Amino acid sequence: MSAVAQSVTALARLGGAQAGLPGGPRSDERRRAALQRLVALGLPTPRDEAWKYTNLRLLERRDLAPAPPRPLPAGALSALPPRQGPTLVFVDGRFHPALSSTALPDGVEFTPLATLLAGELPPAIEARVGAGDSVDERIRLMNAALLGDGALLTFTAGRTPELPLHLVHVATGGGAYPRLLVSIEAGAAARLVEYHLTLGDSDSVAIPVTDLVLGASARLEHYSIGLAGPRAIQLEDVAVRLDRDAEYQHLHVGLGGQLARLDLRVRLEGHGAATQLAGLFIADRSRQLDIRTRIDHLAAHTTSDQVYRGVANDRGRGSYDGMVVVHPGAIKADSQQSSRNLLLGPQASIDARPQLEIKADDVKCSHGAATGALDEQMLFYLLSRGLDRDTARALLTFAFAGDVITRLRVPELRPFVAERVLGSLPTAPLIREFVQ
Amino acid sequence: MSSIGKGDLILEIADLAVDVQGQRILDGVNLAVRAGEVHAIMGPNGAGKSTLSQLLAGRSGYEVKRGTVRYLGEDLLTLPAEERARRGLFLGFQYPVEIPGVNNVYLLKAALNARRRQHGLPEVDAFDFLGLVRDKMRLMQIDESFLSRGVNEGFSGGEKKRNEILQMTILEPTLAILDETDSGLDIDALKVVAHGVNGLRREDRAVVLVTHYQRLLDHIVPDRVHVLVGGRILKSGDRDLALELERRGYDWVRQEATAA
Repeated sequence: MSAVAQSVTALARLGGAQAGLPGGPRSDERRRAALQRLVALGLPTPRDEAWKYTNLRLLERRDLAPAPPRPLPAGALSALPPRQGPTLVFVDGRFHPALSSTALPDGVEFTPLATLLAGELPPAIEARVGAGDSVDERIRLMNAALLGDGALLTFTAGRTPELPLHLVHVATGGGAYPRLLVSIEAGAAARLVEYHLTLGDSDSVAIPVTDLVLGASARLEHYSIGLAGPRAIQLEDVAVRLDRDAEYQHLHVGLGGQLARLDLRVRLEGHGAATQLAGLFIADRSRQLDIRTRIDHLAAHTTSDQVYRGVANDRGRGSYDGMVVVHPGAIKADSQQSSRNLLLGPQASIDARPQLEIKADDVKCSHGAATGALDEQMLFYLLSRGLDRDTARALLTFAFAGDVITRLRVPELRPFVAERVLGSLPTAPLIREFVQ
Repeated sequence: MSSIGKGDLILEIADLAVDVQGQRILDGVNLAVRAGEVHAIMGPNGAGKSTLSQLLAGRSGYEVKRGTVRYLGEDLLTLPAEERARRGLFLGFQYPVEIPGVNNVYLLKAALNARRRQHGLPEVDAFDFLGLVRDKMRLMQIDESFLSRGVNEGFSGGEKKRNEILQMTILEPTLAILDETDSGLDIDALKVVAHGVNGLRREDRAVVLVTHYQRLLDHIVPDRVHVLVGGRILKSGDRDLALELERRGYDWVRQEATAA
């Protein structure tokens, strides 16, 4: 049987899994329609341009049905750093009130999506939940087909909380399909920190989909820390729209999963909108970690800046596939794109493909990518000062990752991520003293 | 740290020939450096000065075709770079690299501890060490921000050179090889650097200055001056030779050698 046919069979089986999901007839109908479109399109394969570097064959042997509600063992969240600010916890995509903060600060409104699915959704939300059907959005269709819960979050202007809001996603095995709908209203500013965890080495499949809308002059700092277990699959899809002078920062740290991919799409729709995207992944063991970004410059004076760093060790693989499109009329657009990757072993591999499509005049765009081993000159400099080879290599590897770690502006995140990055390097004990 | 006495042989290079990517760069170098001495190796661009410095420090990519190099009586060429450093050989780089993310102070401390372990000494106390670094920073007129920055990160050319000398004064090497440390320095920075080097001069140590110009030698007076041309030391002399080279250039040395 061909890969496509196999995936269709796997998907068709999901019809049964839809039965127990929350919501009324309208929700059932929406999910059925999404599944139907998905079955017609099939799962993406490496023959699809957007999936050139990600092979989803792993998905075919997994149980994709949403995980049944099960109690979370004590200490399930112990991997997380101490947090300043409120936390919302989602277990297998379902909001978990008992583990979450009861009170949110002024200026933040939160509604679990499950409570809305029972009735008619407001048209604006309906438009966002009923995913499009383009070939590029098949991961969103999968989320739409099995959507049971998630969050509707609104940050209102003038009452901006100082502390970040933490969203913790725990997958316990089986499927998790949360949907986050976040609005940052005009003039508001917010910080979101998302953690993605799995319980032990469960073979979970998490497909979180996030829609972010930033009003005029709104600001959002968004961190996503991937800590999934060694058998977890995660396909995350984030879509962002920015109005005039809005600013969106996304920082992704990918340290876990057997297969983890981030699709990040940013539309700079308003004059002067700006985005800064940064990311670091460490593909050790036999992990595959992929990042795909697309930025659309749709208005004048929009700016985008991307800094991605990848490290692959052992038989790890990774990719950065970034597309920037400057549309007609987006004059004075400014776009920078940098992807640097470090290969630490002969079997490790990373693909980097920064791309630019410019359809406007008077723009400033640059892109660059480099993949290779540790810098020989730096290595020799450290050796010439008496450092042993393993320490020198460990230091340079950590310093490479540090490029992104220093961009973490939430104080508790920096030591936490530094420690986790260190933990993923085989030579960590040699340089631990240096990091603390 | 050692029992080296004035006049002991520290470095002995005999008939050294080295290829780089199939090209003969050094072609029969002979040199003996004794404890207590400062030697200057001068020569035009492309003479092989940097190759010699880097080779001595243990950089890979050089093919030794013949000859020997002995350091404190041992075969230097069989030792890896880090081992040479621990035994007291220091190279001040012509172009020190920037290593963002590796802190200056950490590197210094790790380097000093590597050297101390070699001599069976305990690791340096963190508090004492910081005091030592601050003292030397004042001596080298290095800004306080140095402590929190990455190795050479964002340093100007002059700052990088001063950092090399700072490292040297803290590591107190037995043999310091300074590769074009004077290039790109203004006169004030040159004096600071010279002051640092002169402070290191002792009866149980030696310094090799590799330089293109003689102006550094106004501030660090060498015991011996050697002229390296075409991969060979064609002439040696005292300080006056440097002044003569300044006046007459290098061509006459070449002609003299050909005539001989």
